[in-house]
Amino acid sequence: MSDAVVLTLREEPKHALIAAAITPDRLASLGAAEIAALPVVHGGRAAQLGDFFKVKGERSATIRIEGELAHVEGIGTGMAAGEIVVAGGVGRDLGVQMAGGRIDVHGDAGDNAGGAGPGASRGMTGGEIVIRGKAGPDVGARMRRGLVVVTGDGGRGTGRGMIAGTVVVFGTAGPGAGRFLKRGSIVALGAIERPATFRYVCTYRPPYVPVLLRYLGARYGLAVADRHITGRYERYAGDMAELGKGEILRWVGD
Amino acid sequence: MNINGVAIEDTFAEAFTMRVARIVITGRTAKWAREAAVKLTGFATSVIGCKCEAGIERGLAEQETPDGRPGVSVLFLTMDKESLPQQLIVRLGQTVLTCPTTACFDGLPDVPPPDRLAVGKALRVFGDGFQASKVIGGKRYWRLPVMEGEFLVEETFGMLKGVGGGNFLILAADADAALAAAEAAVEAMTDLRGVILPFPGGVVRSGSKVGSKRYKNMVATTNDPFDPTLRAVTESQVPEGVNSVLEIVLDGTDPSSIEAAMRAGIRAACRPGVKAITAANFGGKLGPHHFHLRKIMA
Repeated sequence: MSDAVVLTLREEPKHALIAAAITPDRLASLGAAEIAALPVVHGGRAAQLGDFFKVKGERSATIRIEGELAHVEGIGTGMAAGEIVVAGGVGRDLGVQMAGGRIDVHGDAGDNAGGAGPGASRGMTGGEIVIRGKAGPDVGARMRRGLVVVTGDGGRGTGRGMIAGTVVVFGTAGPGAGRFLKRGSIVALGAIERPATFRYVCTYRPPYVPVLLRYLGARYGLAVADRHITGRYERYAGDMAELGKGEILRWVGD
Repeated sequence: MNINGVAIEDTFAEAFTMRVARIVITGRTAKWAREAAVKLTGFATSVIGCKCEAGIERGLAEQETPDGRPGVSVLFLTMDKESLPQQLIVRLGQTVLTCPTTACFDGLPDVPPPDRLAVGKALRVFGDGFQASKVIGGKRYWRLPVMEGEFLVEETFGMLKGVGGGNFLILAADADAALAAAEAAVEAMTDLRGVILPFPGGVVRSGSKVGSKRYKNMVATTNDPFDPTLRAVTESQVPEGVNSVLEIVLDGTDPSSIEAAMRAGIRAACRPGVKAITAANFGGKLGPHHFHLRKIMA
C-alpha cells in the first residue's frame, strides 16, 4: 500500500481518452499492474490505462495525476470516496455522477464537471470538486448534492438544472447559470448573468457563506477575500419556472 | 497543609458523571453572542431544580469560530443522555434562535455517532417547510428563515460523559472576606477550558445536603453543618472564628479540567480573612469522581 497512486501521462493523447476507471474506490484495492490494466477508451477504441500512464504506487485511495490532461475525460466518474489531485487541467466529464470523496484540479476543467452522464437524470450526488481555474459549460449541471468550486470563470449553463447542492464561482458565471434549478445554491463572488426566471428577494449576509468560504480556505488553501466572507449578498430565488426553492447569491459588497 | 495561612482540609469533593454538550454561539458582535449565551444559560444552576446545569465556558475570538465571527462557548450538562437533547432543543429554540445575528455550532465535533444529538434537526421545523440545509465539510447545517434574515444551526451536537458537582467551600472570618475570596477564585477560573461555574457569579451561598430532616418531599435542603447561624443547634462543621461560608461548584468535560480549575481557584481563594478551604462530599458513596484537596494542591 502506498501513500498515493501517481499516474503520469506519458504523452498527450491524440484523441479523447475516456478514463472513467480512474477512481479512488477502484484503485484502493489494486496493485500497480492491475491499475495499468484498467480499461480506457481512446478515440473510440478499447485500450489500457498503462498504455497512456506511468503508474507509481498501489492500493491507495489517494490518486495524483500529472501531465497535460485536456483530452482525458471522465476522471472520477461515479467515485464515492477518496481523493484525486490533478496537477494541471482536465478534460470533460470530471467527477460525473460522483457520490463522495474529493477532486482537486490545479487547472482548468472541461464541460460537465460534476454533471450527469449521458441519459442520466442527475449529476453528482455527493463529494467535492475544486477547480482552480476555469470550468467549461454545464459545470455542476443537474447535480443532486455536493459542492463544486470554480476559482476562475464558470462556463455557459453553470449549475443548470441543479436539484440541490452548492456551486461557488469566484470569477464570472456564464450565461444561463442556474436555469431550471430546482433547489440548491449558486454562490457568485463575481459577475453572474441571472436568468429572468429568478426573482430578487433580499440583500443580506447569508450565515452559511462565511462557514463555506472559510472551509474552502482551511481545507483547500484557497485564497478567499475577507470581503467575500463578511460581505452582503443579493439573493435571487428560482428557478421560478421550476420549484423555485433554489437560489443565486450574488456578492454585492461589504 | 496550608496556603498563605489558610488551612486546606484533608477531605475531597465528590462529583457525579453527567452528560455534557459544548455549544458555540457566534454573533455579529461579541455582545450579541454573549446576550444569547446568557439567556441560554439562565436558570441552569443545578439539576435539582433546573433539570440542567449550564454556563459560559469562555469567549471565542473570530479565528476560533466556524464563521469567523466573535463567539461564546457554553457547556450544557444534564444527568442523563435522554434529557440533554430535550433541554437543548427547548432552550436553544427560545434563546439562541430568537437572538439577533446569532448562529449556533457544535463545540464537540470529534464525538462520533451514536452520541450525536439531533438538535438542529429538531429545530429546523421552525422553518415551517421553508428551511434548507447545506453540507459543508461533511457537516450538515440548517438554514432557518427568520424575520431578520436567516438562522444557521448545525444539525447535530456531540455529547460526552462529563463531570458535575466538583466543589470547594471557602470558610472565612466574615461575609466580606468570604465574598472577596470567592470573587478571586472565580476570576482565576474564568475562561479555563472545559469548566463552567453554573451558579450566580460562580458562587453558591446556599449549599445543600441530600434530602431533609423534616420535610420528606424535599430533594435537597440547607447544608446545616456549614451554616454558621446553626452552630449551636446542629452537628456543626463550622470551625471557631468562621462566620461565613461560600461554595464554588464546578462542572466540566473531564476530571482533569475540574482539577486544574480547582487548583487555580483554591490558590486564589487563599487570602486574608479566609480560615480554611474544605469540600462537600457524601462519604464517597454517591459520586465516582473524588477530588482530594490536598492532592490537587500538592
